[in-house]
Amino acid sequence: MANNFSPDSEPTARTLLRRVLDTADSCTPQRRRSDRISAQRTLLETPSSRRRSIQTKVTARQRSHGARSTGRLAHGQAGGQLEEQTPRTLLKNILLTAPESSIVMPQSVVKPAPAPQVVQPSRRKSSQSSLELQLPELEPPPTLAPVLLGSGRRKQKLRLSVFQKEVEWGPQGLPVSQEPPGNPDASSLTSSLNLTFATPLQPHSVRKPGLARRPPTRRAIDVGALLQDLQNNSLASTPLVDNLRAPVATLPTDIVLEDTQPFSQPLVGHSPNVHYSLPHPYPGPEDAEGTVHHRTQGSIPELQNHKLQPEPADPLEMTEAEGSKRAMEAKNPEESSGDEDISDRPGKRPSVRRSQRTVEPEEPKRSSKDEDISDRLGKRPSVERSRRAVEPEEPERSSEDEDISDRPASSELASNVPEFLQAKQLDQFLEPAPSSGATVLSSEPQEPVLARTHPRPRTAVPRPRQDPHKGGLNHYTKLFSFYAKMPMERKALEMVEKCLDKYLQHLCNDLEVFAAHAGRKTVKPEDLELLMRRQGLVTDQVSLHVLVERHLPLEYRQLIIPCAFSGNSVFPAQ
Amino acid sequence: MALSATVSQKKHVKRKAPRGFLRRLFKRQKPHLRLETRGDVLVHLNCLLFIHRLAEEARINACESKCGIIKKDHVVAAAKVILKKSRA
Repeated sequence: MANNFSPDSEPTARTLLRRVLDTADSCTPQRRRSDRISAQRTLLETPSSRRRSIQTKVTARQRSHGARSTGRLAHGQAGGQLEEQTPRTLLKNILLTAPESSIVMPQSVVKPAPAPQVVQPSRRKSSQSSLELQLPELEPPPTLAPVLLGSGRRKQKLRLSVFQKEVEWGPQGLPVSQEPPGNPDASSLTSSLNLTFATPLQPHSVRKPGLARRPPTRRAIDVGALLQDLQNNSLASTPLVDNLRAPVATLPTDIVLEDTQPFSQPLVGHSPNVHYSLPHPYPGPEDAEGTVHHRTQGSIPELQNHKLQPEPADPLEMTEAEGSKRAMEAKNPEESSGDEDISDRPGKRPSVRRSQRTVEPEEPKRSSKDEDISDRLGKRPSVERSRRAVEPEEPERSSEDEDISDRPASSELASNVPEFLQAKQLDQFLEPAPSSGATVLSSEPQEPVLARTHPRPRTAVPRPRQDPHKGGLNHYTKLFSFYAKMPMERKALEMVEKCLDKYLQHLCNDLEVFAAHAGRKTVKPEDLELLMRRQGLVTDQVSLHVLVERHLPLEYRQLIIPCAFSGNSVFPAQ
Repeated sequence: MALSATVSQKKHVKRKAPRGFLRRLFKRQKPHLRLETRGDVLVHLNCLLFIHRLAEEARINACESKCGIIKKDHVVAAAKVILKKSRA
């Protein structure tokens, strides 16, 4: 028993305790004795039961006193009645010490500092009683004891609590920093007990850590933050894209924003594709071509400028002027020539404007693109021709603009030559780069002149008739120039168009004959295959599917070549 | 599933076939006939091959005449040969 009795810190407590002792003794003796006989556990239980009801310190203390008294009594009984008196005094002392010491440290006085554990085992018997005593001492952390006892496992918990207390006392008797060896859990428990003075659930939580969860409020906050960030990013991205005038600045931001995408360039190109001109990164693949370095760089800013300008709905003249200015800023000597061309055509602009105004907003871009195309022509070996073509082609260009504007379908179809180009508009612009500019120019020598001179309504009339047809043929003429891999004359390209026209007529006739031969009125793929066989394209060695795989893109290949899919299904169905 | 959805990024086809143009052409030429769904793609393939052959032939002609440029007469000569071949 602790012999170190610190001076009273709470005289009121002492008085209360004494009173309690006086009162408690009268009540408890029988129980205590019975408990003692039965087991110490019961002894523990009784105080525990008492503890449960405890809510006030006083009551707790009373019962603690009672428990202590029982402990004392047990001690006393073990030792003799003589001890009862001493236990009381001891109890009093203990009680006095208990309030002094913090709840966390009840044993500082109870147990001697040295070897508390040694004392504990030695005091097992007495320790239990002492524990009992100490348990009530610990009751001042009222929540713990009742909570501990509240569970069904009174005995175990009590023992655990006792154990914990033992452990607690160990560190508590010693400096708090020290931990009882071999009982890290207990220490943790005790620490938890000590710490969780206010939360009775802690012991449960300690045993079942899964029960204690932090509120998920953080998640909501995070999501909101994410959404806000996304919005901010989206908001930031659009203005960034708008400011194509500073393409370099937009490049990293666009890339950063669209980091998730594997290729930032195509995204950047596609996302604003509808409304804005191509972003700066596109010149990259163009440069890769190798042949259109300066031109593309110069042309693309022009394109961008041209595109940007119509969007704010600036007058075309202004746009052109600005475009010329910007082209000048690009500081390309070649562009300067292009700028001259641009500036030289104020008179011819009316045709362009006409076409532009009459056509969709995208098409003025195409007109500008035509200029770029013409500029690129300069790079070709036929530089002189292109140069001359640039200037004399102004009338043709205007017509080209009309034609180009007139072919909504051809614009889409223009994705011919460069395979690596992805953007639709880019394809339109850049595919002609090899020589399509020349093809475009040469394709309509006559109509452009006439069309240019005509006023707007007149240009609108012939469009639906010839231009789509020409546009479709242009598609193939571009392919021709690509396949030839050599520079071509405009007249040669015109010739190609005529040949193609003739060929298509023959084709239709042949198909009709074949279908009629098969007794059908619908031309089927079998007829086509027969036609190709007759032409010598399809042989026993080279089948139609081989040709399809060679020359057609994947989407069309899927249409033609039957392929087996999961679920025992074949598409296209045969 | 048969026509698998195209990749979101790339929804346009490189070297798209002018299917509308071909259909319109065929209808104009043979209004009493019909063309099947896949027929126009094969027609496009046919045109591609024709153009290919024509270009090859024109290039050969130009090279034979030792010209750096394909001129109209080269093309005309090539067209004659190829058209004759196609007919047979």
